Amino acid sequence: MAKNRDGDRDDPRLANEHGVSRRDFVRTGAAAGLGAGALLTPDPASAQGSASGAEDVTWDYEVDVVVAGGGCAGLTAAIRARDLGASVLVVDQNFDVGGRMLHSGAFVSLGGGDPVQQRDMKGEKDKEGLITVDPLEAPEELDDSVDLLFTDITDWSVVDPKGQSPYRYNERELARAWAENCPATRQFMIDNYVRFTRVSGTHGGGGLSRARGARCFLMLGDKTDIKAGTITAEDAGVADPERTSAFAPQQMNDARRQVGPNAVSNGVALSRSLEFSAREKGVEFMLHRRFADLVREQPFAGRVVGIRAHYSPRHHPESGELLQSFWRNGNVDERRETVTIRARRGIILASGGHAGNPQVRSMFYPAMREPAFPTSGVALQGPHGQDASALVAGLRVGANLAGMHQNLSYPTTFHISTRLGTKDAYTTMMPGHPTFGFRKAAGINVGSAGFEEFIAVNQVGKRFFNEVRLPARPGGSRYPGDGAAPGQGLDHKPLDWRNCQKKWVRESYDYDHGLDAALAMNEGSKAPDYHSGPLWAIFDQEAVERTGWEMRYPYVADNGYFFQADTIEELAAKIAAGHEFQRVPLSYLAETVARWNDCVDAGADPEFERHADAPMYRIDRPPFHALSIMVIWHDSYGGLRVNGRQQVVDMQGEVIPGLYAGGEAVGGFNKHGLGKGHVHGYIAGTHAAEEPSEQG
Amino acid sequence: MRKILVAVLSLGCVVAPCAAAAQVDDAARFEQGRQLYEAHCARCHGASGEGRPPAFPALSGNDRLADAAHVVGTIRQGAGNMPPFPALTADETASLAGYVRNAWTNGFGGVTIEEVDAVSAAFADPGPAASVWDGVFSEAQAMRGRGLYTGACSFCHGRRLNGAPDDPDMRSTPPLARARFLREWEGRSLATLFEYTRLTMPEDNPTSLTDAEYVDVIAYMLSVSGMPAGDGELPPDSRSLAQIEMRQRQ
Repeated sequence: MAKNRDGDRDDPRLANEHGVSRRDFVRTGAAAGLGAGALLTPDPASAQGSASGAEDVTWDYEVDVVVAGGGCAGLTAAIRARDLGASVLVVDQNFDVGGRMLHSGAFVSLGGGDPVQQRDMKGEKDKEGLITVDPLEAPEELDDSVDLLFTDITDWSVVDPKGQSPYRYNERELARAWAENCPATRQFMIDNYVRFTRVSGTHGGGGLSRARGARCFLMLGDKTDIKAGTITAEDAGVADPERTSAFAPQQMNDARRQVGPNAVSNGVALSRSLEFSAREKGVEFMLHRRFADLVREQPFAGRVVGIRAHYSPRHHPESGELLQSFWRNGNVDERRETVTIRARRGIILASGGHAGNPQVRSMFYPAMREPAFPTSGVALQGPHGQDASALVAGLRVGANLAGMHQNLSYPTTFHISTRLGTKDAYTTMMPGHPTFGFRKAAGINVGSAGFEEFIAVNQVGKRFFNEVRLPARPGGSRYPGDGAAPGQGLDHKPLDWRNCQKKWVRESYDYDHGLDAALAMNEGSKAPDYHSGPLWAIFDQEAVERTGWEMRYPYVADNGYFFQADTIEELAAKIAAGHEFQRVPLSYLAETVARWNDCVDAGADPEFERHADAPMYRIDRPPFHALSIMVIWHDSYGGLRVNGRQQVVDMQGEVIPGLYAGGEAVGGFNKHGLGKGHVHGYIAGTHAAEEPSEQG
Repeated sequence: MRKILVAVLSLGCVVAPCAAAAQVDDAARFEQGRQLYEAHCARCHGASGEGRPPAFPALSGNDRLADAAHVVGTIRQGAGNMPPFPALTADETASLAGYVRNAWTNGFGGVTIEEVDAVSAAFADPGPAASVWDGVFSEAQAMRGRGLYTGACSFCHGRRLNGAPDDPDMRSTPPLARARFLREWEGRSLATLFEYTRLTMPEDNPTSLTDAEYVDVIAYMLSVSGMPAGDGELPPDSRSLAQIEMRQRQ
């Protein structure tokens, strides 16, 4: 079935019948195709594409299934397609595998009577016997079915505290397919080394009537061994509170309550387990490789037969060395600027959303064209993370979009972070992970309560909102409740009109709009974009002593997002000189601080009524500090329209043959987080692998 | 206000000529009761006495409040999950008991200081009062609490107890140490904190720690807030904890 034209039979990886066929590789002895310099110019005669409309394309690689993006949807799709006999190549723009899944909380919300719900319902332990605590949820809270899950995620009656209707607009076919595949996906993940904790609650968008979410865990041990389910304290990042490891960009959480003593959980346990399995099964990875474009037989007709992808190397911010993935077995080292990859069976777009592309995301919220606010995880993922590549490439071959308004329905989509003083205010990398240096400081996570301790000013140095209310976020629509419906947990009645009666909507509506005030135009906003500019938390040394904030490395550093000075005037000058997006001077800062101090003395803040919410403190004891306040566009909900087989659909409602998509690349399903992506990947991997092989 | 006046009159404590003066006095007493209720009771029983059943019973429309001695006894001595409030004076207890018996939909009548004294006479002396600054926990207890906190609390309340979860998708939670926490709990007893924590936390599985573990966590919260350790330990017992008051400053 697979073509292995270069006859690399003695390379064990290439001898694999389903391995990547690198018809333009010429063996050069020891390099064996994995080092730089192993490549020669492709032979145009043998590398011509098929006699289709894409015949002018010279294919550099050929494989059954190409997956764009190695995150939660892509990695799942890759393993699934591989299990079904396909050769699979994953291209990812980053230097390591896992996407944002690696930095997630690994809270995988599925349901429909999935195997973990059933295990907990029966009070059983996991097969390996690692879980030593009793179930956290009562059996009736776990008693779920596909039909109930489907009802929940299409429940028209739920209106959330932001006044949105998150479930009402979900694509029915997509939701049905997702619900039906949840139990199988959970089992699939378990079969690929993923260990799930006890079920506890549900993630946003996962329905209001049952508990469906479980986290992923490993056990602390003497060595990191995915097969055995163990990880060292160093790798887990729990040995030293100020270090993370190359294995885990975020420190793992103590999971003794959901598992038992010595258990640790988060996206590392999920992502590394799936990656280990994928590499073990022979999935291949081409990293530092940014998916850019699709090749369709004709511009808007015929099959999609391959992709183009560009070199997107990431170098260590200090040493300048090319960053390397933690595991390298199965990596294809390819450094040409552009390569073409032919997919005999299918292409799966799982390259994430559009949160990192200010031009694309501005279609949802023009004020978020402000480039001062990058997407979550920009240090971890680099400049091409969440760059809307799937959406853009899909539109170019005629794809339709879906659920474009659904970005407005989830509270983490764009929000103000409580982590201050760092460009990437979402992630938690510490020294030890190679991407820490891209932001130089971890920032100080002050929590919402910390916003009582400073004044927040815009790019001209003026206050713009009641600081205490600035980071307020409405809840997601999740079990058990979060204020999204009158009944909570088992008391919630799906499809009951009372869920959205006026009285209830008024009662639940508590959106504070500090975010919108933060993005408002001000005197420094200039045509044509009228950027609102960066935001600053201004406080004095007294606040530092009051709160215990640690104003030192690795929490703050000279990174352009933290400044310190002996006078307010000097502080304003330092910010203006040292911050990359500070386009105008903070002309009003000194005046604002003086006025604030008057307010404190008078015990009243007539402009923003802060006195009603918290004590107010003078800002008068040097040194004075400024920490950046970041607006974060985290996840994406609008995207490519797909059907229940994850096939991309065009603007006539016709399937685009050979093209699949999942995770944040697709729209029409307002489900937060991993649960959506894994099931999409499972479905897409299944169907892509079952496509008839197109012989070139 | 009409309710309490009717109630007071129905008790026959006030003779007609003094009615106007008594009304002013009762209004002040009702207001005192309201303030005490907000300070000590509202967190669990709700701003309008609606409670949060089953952990915290509703007080509004609760027929058990018809028995004045039961109300006074419960406030003074505690009952079940309810912590005792021995630090309240007889005068304060009378105001508070009168308030909960007559606020919202209730109309059970007032409570006199004499009634409070009569009920309290049966109770043993609660012992000396202390504040959280008096070395009420030991270092070893705080260290035990630290381990428990990491497992049960830090996921939501943050490694630094500042209400900032590490998971950036999670919303902030109330801080469990330092200035803001102390301000929230100022003047309340550790028994209230203990029972409230025990009955509501962890949110998805309240009462899942042992009583001893809950007080160990509280010892850790106090140590992070800068309170000095002493020789003894915080006991897992509401009666004793009720004698220790939260104070922002020494």
